[in-house]
Amino acid sequence: MNHLAYLDAGSGSLIVQAVVGGVAGVAVAAKLYWRRLVSRFRRQPTDQS
Amino acid sequence: MVIPNLGRSPRPVPVDAELRPEPGSFRDPANRVFHAGDDVLRALDETATAHWRALAGSTFFPPLVAAGKICGTEELPAGVAFPAPSAGSRLPAGSDRPAGSALPNWAAVLRHERIPFISHPYEWSFAMLRDAALLHLEILRAALSAGFTTKDGSAYNLQWRGTEPVFIDVGSFAPLRDGEPWAGYRQFCQTLLYPLMLGAHLGLAFQPWLRAQVDGISPEQMGPLFRGTRRLLPGVLTHVHLHGSVQRRNAATSTSDVRAQLRAAGYTRELAQATVRGMEKLVRRLDHQPPPTHWVDYQRTCGYSGDDRSGKERFVTAALSTADRRRLVLDLGANDGRYARLAARHADYVVAVEQDPAVLDRLYRTLRGEGERRVLPLVMDLADPSPGGGWRAVERASFAARASADTVLALALVHHLAIGRNVPLPEVVSCLVGFVAPGGRLVVEFVHPDDPMAARLLANKPDGIFPDYRRDAFESLLAAHGTVEDRLELPSGTRTLYRVARS
Repeated sequence: MNHLAYLDAGSGSLIVQAVVGGVAGVAVAAKLYWRRLVSRFRRQPTDQS
Repeated sequence: MVIPNLGRSPRPVPVDAELRPEPGSFRDPANRVFHAGDDVLRALDETATAHWRALAGSTFFPPLVAAGKICGTEELPAGVAFPAPSAGSRLPAGSDRPAGSALPNWAAVLRHERIPFISHPYEWSFAMLRDAALLHLEILRAALSAGFTTKDGSAYNLQWRGTEPVFIDVGSFAPLRDGEPWAGYRQFCQTLLYPLMLGAHLGLAFQPWLRAQVDGISPEQMGPLFRGTRRLLPGVLTHVHLHGSVQRRNAATSTSDVRAQLRAAGYTRELAQATVRGMEKLVRRLDHQPPPTHWVDYQRTCGYSGDDRSGKERFVTAALSTADRRRLVLDLGANDGRYARLAARHADYVVAVEQDPAVLDRLYRTLRGEGERRVLPLVMDLADPSPGGGWRAVERASFAARASADTVLALALVHHLAIGRNVPLPEVVSCLVGFVAPGGRLVVEFVHPDDPMAARLLANKPDGIFPDYRRDAFESLLAAHGTVEDRLELPSGTRTLYRVARS
């Protein structure tokens, strides 16, 4: 149980903070989206099999 | 740990006093605020207790308390009999825990400094909301450097000691988990940043929005207000449009998944700090002075002669200089704060209520510049006072439920309510007396119908619609509610002051 999270912080509200944090933050957000994209392509063949 | 002057009674431990759960404290099950007599207590569960002890021993928390930026807090000695709030009969109707939530066994109890008068963000002026937002960010920045964060980011985390904002939600601090963004960011946007943007970018009053929605303004509500070139205004593209759009696209992803993804992508504490610094910079850029109205010049244009003014000041001073010191004075219709300042010399605390945001904002900035800690300026229309808000309409107490003063000043006010707003005179008197605590005094000015200011208001209404707006009718109403101890007709002959002891 994460006691920090009594409040729904909002998934989008968490991600957008990276972008607001300057160039390094944008890089983190880009990496997050890149990893999501890659994992989607990786999953597809196993889904079809 | 040592706390600054708490403005509380010296009783050591309030075990005998009846515990009243604070209706506004239920969202975070790890802790809950109670009132016991004049004391404000916060009960903590085991995890919250561990967090509190780490906080009390941290490098950032004690200096912020000592500087008055966080409310004074001490832990009551272990073994104090603090009844678990499971005795349903002790909880007033409408304020017990929401059904179904388990009652924790409290592991520790804190006592907080008493804030002299609780106010809500929709009763603050623009500059007040901005200073409150800056304090929240300053505290968060200090916390992050010391390895802590706040679990939320609400404007309701802040209160006032006069014109000095104070962070009150000590239960909000928790150890920071590296790689996690601020959980309170959305709340901060909705209850602080967006309202400030409405004022600074669009010149709109934020108060009606915050009063109507306890959770503040959503990105979806902000979006349509900032189309076209307004997207380019400071902070709008990222905190409003991007925020809203990323929220929509990630609605199906859980926050725990997103936290893990962000950590894996390399989100760091330094990034969180950079975000807070960026927000501080943005909030500093957001400025707005509400446009001046005729009330701004009221003291100059209201038609008082010098003799009237000095007579009135002497009368008010005499009313306040009683043997027992006044704890709380309400100055209703405070305008430039002349009488609120005067009252502050004779009372512990003065709440100056003014309906005009421009006048109030100006008063706040002046008092803040003087470092005034005993006058709290609030924006509110007495003909439409703050209602109860939030859960069951008791989470945020109504003005009527909070206002109980030793002395109520209602100077040059009655004619605005009775003639300007068509409130029947008996209603006006009954309302004003209702703000006076038992044993307290009402100091009220009656502006005769032939006074130039009253005549100006009457000229806008059909003849004869206020037949009871007369001095004798007003005096018999006062007599029905208490004892008129003192009266003074001002030299102009068109205004009379009364001091009434509430019966």
